[in-house]
Amino acid sequence: MALNTLVVDDSSVMRSIIIKTLKLSGLPLGDIWEAKNGEEGLRILQDKWIDLALIDIHMPVMDGEEMLTLMRENDQYENLPVIVVSSESAPGKIEKMLKLGATFIHKPFTPEILKEVIVAVTGVRNEDTD
Amino acid sequence: MKTQIEKFLIESTVKTLEDLCFMYQEPELKDAQENLPLEAAAEVKYRSDDFTGKLLIETRGGLFSAIATNILSIDDPSTKQKKDALGEIANIICGNVVPSLGEGGREYKIEPPRSLNKDDLLKEEWREEPIAGITLNFNDGRVDIKLFVDGYSAAKEKKE
Repeated sequence: MALNTLVVDDSSVMRSIIIKTLKLSGLPLGDIWEAKNGEEGLRILQDKWIDLALIDIHMPVMDGEEMLTLMRENDQYENLPVIVVSSESAPGKIEKMLKLGATFIHKPFTPEILKEVIVAVTGVRNEDTD
Repeated sequence: MKTQIEKFLIESTVKTLEDLCFMYQEPELKDAQENLPLEAAAEVKYRSDDFTGKLLIETRGGLFSAIATNILSIDDPSTKQKKDALGEIANIICGNVVPSLGEGGREYKIEPPRSLNKDDLLKEEWREEPIAGITLNFNDGRVDIKLFVDGYSAAKEKKE
């Protein structure tokens, strides 16, 4: 299964890092979509088939918490695998995201960590080894 | 407290540059690195219910370009890409260190990073004493980071 992936982060640098890491991971990837905030991310979710979303917390217009909350209220996305990638360290905020069914990766992260978490939440395997 | 925050700053900076830029800290600052001219600076402001402040990052000796080259895996980054990359590094370090300033469980708002020019750095606000400051060397350059808490200097003077 090739993963169509949505990357939501207001930093173009961080989106580039995540996409570069995804491409180096050897995981089967489909299309990769980028959004600068939660509102743009939700629009892409409505238009495209997405298998995995990686989202930041702190973003202008609509932050990651609001985006995730709205996603979980929608039957279509209530079970979509979501990985929150953030430098957020406040336990309360992280706990809220976990309760909404997301997995948390703390910035900075290594490519290995990102790959491990994607495999864990999606069940996909490395194309090179399978 | 200052020493503990500096320890967090060092750990966070080393880990961020290792994980995202594949750059590794050199054990000792060479003589030539001490007098390198400033090449770039960025700030990240933060706030919680109880206090506000900012983090300042400065690069010297080619790190401004090297950070963008490594983080984006491109050979010739534009000035904007260099500024964005430095800002992102500052943002991550700030997000990691600021929670160590107060009691656990407090929530913080980290604002988007802002690139600074030399005129910005001459402003009065940068003459305040930082609560912590570190200098680390990577490759042939160096990075200096200062963490400010608004009102720290005044509170310290009052205490003394």
